[in-house]
Amino acid sequence: MMQTIRTFRATWLGACLAGALLVSGPALAETLPAPQAEVILTVSGAIGTTNADGVLALDADLMASLPQHSFTTATIWTEGTATYSGVLLRDLLAAAGATGATVKLTALNDYQISMPAADALADGPLLAFLADGQPMSTRDKGPVWLIYPFDDVAAFRTEQTYARSIWQLNRIEITD
Amino acid sequence: MRWLRNAMVGLTALAFVAIVVLAVQLRSELQKLQEEPVDSLHWNVTQLELDVVRLEAAATLALAVPGADLADLRKRFDLFYSRAETVVKGTMFLRLGLSNTVAPLKARMRTFLDETAALIDGEDRALRAALPQIVADVGALRTDLRATAIQVIDINAGLQDARRASLSDVIQKIAGASVALITLLLGLLGLVVALNLQADRRAYEVQRITSRLAATVGTSLDAVVVAGMDGCVIDFNAAAETIFGYTRAEAIGQPLGTLIIPPRHRAAHDAGMERMKATGVRHVVDAGRIKITAIRKSGEEFPVELSIASNDGPEGMIFIAYLRDISDARKAEAALVAARDEAQAAERTKTSFIAVMSHEMRTPLNGVIGALDVLGRTPLEPKQERFLTLARSSAKQLLRHVNDVLDISRVDAGPVGLLADRFDMPALLTTLVDTLRPAAAQKNNHVEVRILGEFPPLQGDPFRIGQIVQNFLSNAIKFTDGGQITVEAEVQRTTGLEVEVEVRVIDTGIGIAEADQSRIFEDFVMVDPTFGRSVGGTGLGLAISRRLARAMSGEVGVESAAGEGSCFWLRLPLQSAADPAQVAVPDTAQGKPLAAQALDVLVVEDNETNRIVLEEMLHHLGHRVTLAVDGGDGVEKARARRYDVILMDLSMPLMDGWTAATVIRQGGASQHSRILAVTAHVRPDRMDRFEESGMDGWLTKPLSIRSLTEALNAVPHGTPAEHRAGGTQDGSDALLDADRLNDLRRIADKDGLQRLLQKFHANMENILATIDADAETASAEELAAVLHTGVGASAVVGASRLSRELARLEAACRAGDTKALQAARKGLGSTWLETWAALRAAFWDTPT
Repeated sequence: MMQTIRTFRATWLGACLAGALLVSGPALAETLPAPQAEVILTVSGAIGTTNADGVLALDADLMASLPQHSFTTATIWTEGTATYSGVLLRDLLAAAGATGATVKLTALNDYQISMPAADALADGPLLAFLADGQPMSTRDKGPVWLIYPFDDVAAFRTEQTYARSIWQLNRIEITD
Repeated sequence: MRWLRNAMVGLTALAFVAIVVLAVQLRSELQKLQEEPVDSLHWNVTQLELDVVRLEAAATLALAVPGADLADLRKRFDLFYSRAETVVKGTMFLRLGLSNTVAPLKARMRTFLDETAALIDGEDRALRAALPQIVADVGALRTDLRATAIQVIDINAGLQDARRASLSDVIQKIAGASVALITLLLGLLGLVVALNLQADRRAYEVQRITSRLAATVGTSLDAVVVAGMDGCVIDFNAAAETIFGYTRAEAIGQPLGTLIIPPRHRAAHDAGMERMKATGVRHVVDAGRIKITAIRKSGEEFPVELSIASNDGPEGMIFIAYLRDISDARKAEAALVAARDEAQAAERTKTSFIAVMSHEMRTPLNGVIGALDVLGRTPLEPKQERFLTLARSSAKQLLRHVNDVLDISRVDAGPVGLLADRFDMPALLTTLVDTLRPAAAQKNNHVEVRILGEFPPLQGDPFRIGQIVQNFLSNAIKFTDGGQITVEAEVQRTTGLEVEVEVRVIDTGIGIAEADQSRIFEDFVMVDPTFGRSVGGTGLGLAISRRLARAMSGEVGVESAAGEGSCFWLRLPLQSAADPAQVAVPDTAQGKPLAAQALDVLVVEDNETNRIVLEEMLHHLGHRVTLAVDGGDGVEKARARRYDVILMDLSMPLMDGWTAATVIRQGGASQHSRILAVTAHVRPDRMDRFEESGMDGWLTKPLSIRSLTEALNAVPHGTPAEHRAGGTQDGSDALLDADRLNDLRRIADKDGLQRLLQKFHANMENILATIDADAETASAEELAAVLHTGVGASAVVGASRLSRELARLEAACRAGDTKALQAARKGLGSTWLETWAALRAAFWDTPT
């Protein structure tokens, strides 16, 4: 019960921070060039920054050009721990100049989840595209895995968070 | 209540701990539950199954369409691979406790993935060639997966049920514990409320008691002063304010010593406080009521009654003093004492008045009786004889009453002079009965004396014993008609020389009602006044009897039944007399003519008047008289022949009475005769010479017939009270002594009296002439001797005032004051003339 309250509180805090970032986002995103390599993640919908055909298409280099973040954690789906690196969803939303309140994420196998943009917090989720410094293949839940620091933050060890931990992610759509 | 409280607190703590423990447990359960990927299990399993189906479909399609693009197959394989890796490598099943269940599947998938991955990652040709095999493998895997999936979900369902049950159990326990805790808390709350109420009640009670106490102290009529161990006042009530004059505010905090203790007692008070502090020994505190002096603010000292109690106060020992102003009580007490003293004085005055009155009555009464006796000796007519008898009996009865009253006042006045004579009880009783036998016979009563057992000779006061028994007997005769009266006597107990004697007078008379028996011994009590008057009596007889019995350490009492008779008893402790030879039987009946035995009497007297009077009296009593004119003459005559009694004047010239008696005792015929001193001195037996001279008794001048009679009737010692019957020494200033004149009239005829008076006249004239002639020249001693002859002579003829004046002058002369004699000469002359005229009138004008 207390866990829920803490989560709830953290959620609201995150929402405020995200709102602040959204205001200054577009100036940064407008500078993103078009992708040169294979696109691993496409951001569409209510965004202010695009680099290709109305969407923000990101290859590994573009992903790497955004603020990087990493943590080491175990998951219930993998064996042992690994260090996951990538861009925080929050940072990505900021870079994309996202103005919507809902984030819809879709995987290669069309698995799809929706979450409030406000749930994109400073410590997670992370759009990891490197595991132990290596790009992730489809077999290794690549190209992008929305992952949480399960070991560091107990609040993330919940059913909902597990369900949101979408792997083989390649599309993000921002809606109102 | 306390154990309940403790139990409840303990249980509450227990419930609280239980709840905490359960909450922690619950939290961990919930945590586990939250962290468990239960829902994603189903998802994953389903997804795995879907992925394998899609892979199978892709493989089947690739097999069915030769040359088709293999990209979709590869993508499906990668997706399945990824999914399978999740199952194979993920901790999901481990965490759910399903790793064993999925272990065979895992192995199977591992093999499939490893074998197939190589083909997928290889050339299209090789992949195509392997397609049939891949389709078959995937199909088989799908079947296994299906079976395992069902199994996993089934087992998981059971596990979840158990987990829910466990959770539910914890929650139920928490709920139970919570209910218990709440109940206990409610109980505790109730307890707290109850305790609070109790505390309120107690507080109220304490307040009530406090206010009641305050009211009690405040309204106390006694001063209440509370002081501490330091002696300073802590409390001071309203009464204390009134009594001491200080207000409460003034008194509080002040040392008690300076406040209410007079300065002169302060040192003692301080010392007492110090001593008590030092030793704890209390003299005044808790010692009950004491009376001391206190002081008011005004400085006035006053008596108080004080009681101090000590108690433990909040700041050590306190002392509570209750003080009562007893000034008024003291005054009342003093007034009461004064009233009592006054009453007692009045009572004494009354008693004394009664005594004096009785005495004064007795003197003329003796005269009446004497006159009647003399009258009785003259020839009388029968009628006169009858009246005379009546007058005599009346006079005697009156005398008896007077004597009764005198007896009472005498006994009340002080210790009764008791004799310690030898006497014989049977003889005493017989004599008594004999004297009363005529009276008894008049009422046809038969009187009998019964001596029960042996009687030793006794020592005691036979006169007083006789008086008591006679009183009993007189009563018995009075209240019995034609009956039997028995006088019984017996020795009840003998202890060494101590003998307890009981004398009973039993009659068959009218008896006494029980209600009256207790009061008949009180003064002036007559059971039936009417009857009492008819038989005569003052109602004092029994009262006197009881007084006399008590004076002798004895007791009197009565047993009676109305109509059947009475038994009056006298119980006395007496001494048995060692020598039975000299037992005397005294005369008892007062006023009764004594059985006079003719005696040979020698009168030694230098004064002629006295000699004549004594001679006349003795002749009248029937005795034979020989006269001697001085001491030498007396000795000579006493030696010559034996006399029964020698009456010896003490103050004589040449040889005085003391010497003469001593000489007579030394030898001669009258060596063992009774010698009685005749003197104007009171109680010569108090003088040292009395013992040495060998006197047997004494008589006080002027002599009366009665005292002379008793003295001569073998009464060994004088009865001093009776000897004073002359009445001239009572301090009255009568010119003549009527009693004495009566005696003179009784003893002598007219001629004899005239001869006596003539002698007396010559005597007095001679004395006065001697005083006139020799006043300047003679020595004081010679003049005193002359005056002394006058004192005796005038007393004998009843010239009481003259006698007193002469006696006074004699005393003055003996003291060497002859001037007083000259100064009194004129007064003496006039007294003499007055006396002589009165004497002449008394004797010559009397038709005797």
